[in-house]
Amino acid sequence: MTGPVVGIIANPVSARDIRRVISHAGCLQITDRAGIVLRVLAGLAASGVREVVMMPDRSGLRGYLTRAMSRAENAGETKFPELRFLDMKVSGQAADSANAARQMRRMDVAAIIVLGGDGTHRVVVAECGDVPIAGISTGTNNAFPETREPTVTGLAVGLAATGAVPCAAAFADNKRLEVTINDRQEIALVDVAVVRDRVVGSRAIWKPDSFTELFVAFAEPTSIGMSSIVGLLAPVKRGAPYGRRVIFERPETAPFRLSAPIAPGLMQKVGVQSVETIKLHAPMTPTAPAGSLAFDGEREVTFSHDDEVRIILRDAAFRTIDVSACMAHAATKGRFVEADGALSVFTRQLGGSA
Amino acid sequence: MARKLSMKDAINEAVDQEMTRDPTVIMMGEDIVGGAGASGEEDAWGGVLGVTKGLYAKHRNQMIDTPLSESAYVGAAIGAAACGLRPIAELMFVDFIGVCLDQVYNQAAKFRYMFGGKAETPVVIRAMCGAGFRAAAQHSQMLAPIFTHIPGLKVVCPSNAYDTKGLLIQSIRDNDPVIFLEHKNLYGHISDVPEESYTIPFGEANVVREGKHATIVTYGQTVHRSVDAAAALTKDGVECEVIDLRTLSPIDWDTVIESVEKTGRLICVDEANPRCSIAADVSAHVAQEAFKALKGPIMMVTAPHTPVPFSPALEDIYIPTADAIASAVRKSMAR
Amino acid sequence: MSNNPFPLSKERLLEAYRMMRTIREFEERLHVDFARGDIPGFVHLYAGEEAAATGIMMHLNDRDRIASTHRGHGHCIAKGVDVKEMMAEIYGKATGACRGKGGSMHIANLSKGMMGANGILGAGAPLICGAALAAQKLGHGGVGVSFVGDGASNQGTFLESLNLASVWNLPAIFVVENNGYAESTSVEWAVAGESYVDRATGFGMPGVSVDGTDFFAVYEAAGEIVKRARDGGGPSLLECTMVRFHGHFEGDAQTYRGKGELEDIHANKDCIKIFRNRVREAGVVSDAEFDKIDNAVVALIEQAVIEAKAAPLPKAAELLTDVYVAY
Repeated sequence: MTGPVVGIIANPVSARDIRRVISHAGCLQITDRAGIVLRVLAGLAASGVREVVMMPDRSGLRGYLTRAMSRAENAGETKFPELRFLDMKVSGQAADSANAARQMRRMDVAAIIVLGGDGTHRVVVAECGDVPIAGISTGTNNAFPETREPTVTGLAVGLAATGAVPCAAAFADNKRLEVTINDRQEIALVDVAVVRDRVVGSRAIWKPDSFTELFVAFAEPTSIGMSSIVGLLAPVKRGAPYGRRVIFERPETAPFRLSAPIAPGLMQKVGVQSVETIKLHAPMTPTAPAGSLAFDGEREVTFSHDDEVRIILRDAAFRTIDVSACMAHAATKGRFVEADGALSVFTRQLGGSA
Repeated sequence: MARKLSMKDAINEAVDQEMTRDPTVIMMGEDIVGGAGASGEEDAWGGVLGVTKGLYAKHRNQMIDTPLSESAYVGAAIGAAACGLRPIAELMFVDFIGVCLDQVYNQAAKFRYMFGGKAETPVVIRAMCGAGFRAAAQHSQMLAPIFTHIPGLKVVCPSNAYDTKGLLIQSIRDNDPVIFLEHKNLYGHISDVPEESYTIPFGEANVVREGKHATIVTYGQTVHRSVDAAAALTKDGVECEVIDLRTLSPIDWDTVIESVEKTGRLICVDEANPRCSIAADVSAHVAQEAFKALKGPIMMVTAPHTPVPFSPALEDIYIPTADAIASAVRKSMAR
Repeated sequence: MSNNPFPLSKERLLEAYRMMRTIREFEERLHVDFARGDIPGFVHLYAGEEAAATGIMMHLNDRDRIASTHRGHGHCIAKGVDVKEMMAEIYGKATGACRGKGGSMHIANLSKGMMGANGILGAGAPLICGAALAAQKLGHGGVGVSFVGDGASNQGTFLESLNLASVWNLPAIFVVENNGYAESTSVEWAVAGESYVDRATGFGMPGVSVDGTDFFAVYEAAGEIVKRARDGGGPSLLECTMVRFHGHFEGDAQTYRGKGELEDIHANKDCIKIFRNRVREAGVVSDAEFDKIDNAVVALIEQAVIEAKAAPLPKAAELLTDVYVAY
């Protein structure tokens, strides 16, 4: 019987858009992305995962990885799992991530680790179905994926994939916003912003004058991006069974104004008319008759009064690996300890249970 | 009472006066100020041999230190010249021209012609040239011939402080790209230099010494050696005319031809390597234009077809010596 | 309330369309005439890439300078160089923009801020550093834009210029027109890391990547970048991914392309079709209005060719003129 296969989708072209100029968004070099993947692989191997399948790219990631791994092999190190690449065309666009996720789902991988920002995670979640994902932030806006050391993500995903941590502890259910524009279906993992611009253009949104409305699935006070508007007014936890809806107004006439970090390094003042709680499964329509919809900070679709737009907040829409829970479980159960019976003595002394 | 100045100081004064007169005159180069970004003294160097020392204090906005990036900053000087400034780019050693040659010969030299007369590129590229400094093969070349070959460039190589100041001011005011070669061995050479600004036109050679038996045509460091050779030859009753070309493009053919028509003998002395040298250029031109005036073959006294050697014993015989020049004159007289 | 959803007025949208259409028609006409043997020398056509030149140039004025590549007709037209003078130049006639002495690869018009198409790839980048330096010193608020291709982005001059512009904080913008091929060599083979944004970051300036076949994406990104440069924010790099319709040079059989690649490009990645459809579907400009521009452009190019063919060649004496201002 073969062991679990874990998938990795590392977006080589995230963190490249206009937010490098209008805000202080970072740019993660290919070498750094490759380093992150190698750290994940080391973690996966240490947790017993032997097979990893990855989305191919033409941006140098693949080259770096194969070189690093063959060097390790030549040096007699066995710290990496076997890595192979999906057989698919590479376009260098978002479609690649969607394609890879679809294939990995069909292959029934135990989990998908995603390197990217909110946008990349959104694209993967739209295709991964029931396959749980673990996110690593390498994009512009990282409200969805957690900021976490990739080696630890690898360890946790390995524990979950090999069943070393029971499902109930290893996986968490997540909300998402589901949007239909006539027949077209889209999702957002964190927020849907309705803006006045009626072109997708350079996709990012950053001008408060253009904001009309915001739907948010979750928002911590420490969030970055559009969801920070809710995070600083009326935070919502990832697990909470509701969301928020904000209606904007011109700052001059709005009942109140809020300064929020709507892009990395960019504080903007927005005028807020109202904030309300939105229930799960209740369809909503934007108040504006026309504009664009930005999913997780990127304009994707334009609409006008001829189009029917519906927004719904769903729960238990997709699963993520609960890295903290997995590692806590590992610590409690001594998953990385080698001992000949002495462990129970040790943990009893410290007040834990064996 | 004439004021004496070294060639090095003449360069400094020329640039200073032009920068004062015209704020669009700027200079860029490596360490022309010195200490850029460092925590010590401002204007720490004023150029690797101190030629531009003190200019930064007087012309802060006109003196710019550059990264080690000739293609970029020489190109930038050329681009800025096409956009309304009058830049001087210092190439620390003319030997570095290889690194940025395209910007000089494919861009600056050709804009006016390629664009149908609708561009002006008033850039000056100043560079140290020449051997005798024990600076070895990659820091000692006399590369004037590379530039004189290119249509669209002007090439200047003065032999003394007086000519240096006048020709540099002329170069800065000139509206074409000028390669201004400064012989590093002559930086300390002192002559009378007027305090006021003055120019010397291009294409005008200087007859340093008159004589009726032989014409020596040369430029740069070998002007002085030619004068020494001429002094030695006087003892033998041979009077040499020594012509300092001063500008190599445009070149003063008229003065050379006139002299050869008078003397009938031509000796070209050139510190550059022999193939396609200034000596070869002048020789061929005179052979065509003044053949009947020649009483004997034209002699060329040049460096050998070798890189510049390091050891002083070798470098000293690499550069045409006064003896070698005198010997060539005698050889020409004997035939 | 205006029915125009775009960030440009209808007038400006029409201007953009006219500009792109003029480039396309100019290039496609050359494509035909070159195959017939009418045109001396080499031409490198910009057809398919119009949205990049147009989206950027619509933020520039005569004070701003651009330096182009061998594939410079599009940049020239977008920067306002006269189309008839360009055609005459390509035919080597005395009425050409450069009096017949430059040809296709060296068309320039300094009064319009066009510092020349350039046969030496990457050579424009240092020149633009100079233009930007001059703008800074003369204080007129102009910017410099250097266009390079994916291939030339490997030239030392380009990389040195990124460094120089960054350390001197110049109002310089480096546009990488990535059409996937440097002559016949693919980007995947030649460009380490395949990321211009990473290169920009390495030199301390922001880099942005946009779809160069989307006029609005280019227009919006270029607007921010140009504004940043004018405001003293320093240099940036803009990568426009795009496609070229024809070969590296006219006569290139393009056998290096994959099967169906050219068909896909013409069918799905025609930036002018994409623009026209989007603007028409938004109800801002009608087909009739677009067609009117099409007809006017065709007539203009036709007239340019007629006049170029009829124009005199330069006289023999022209061979020796304009080497220097004065010699």
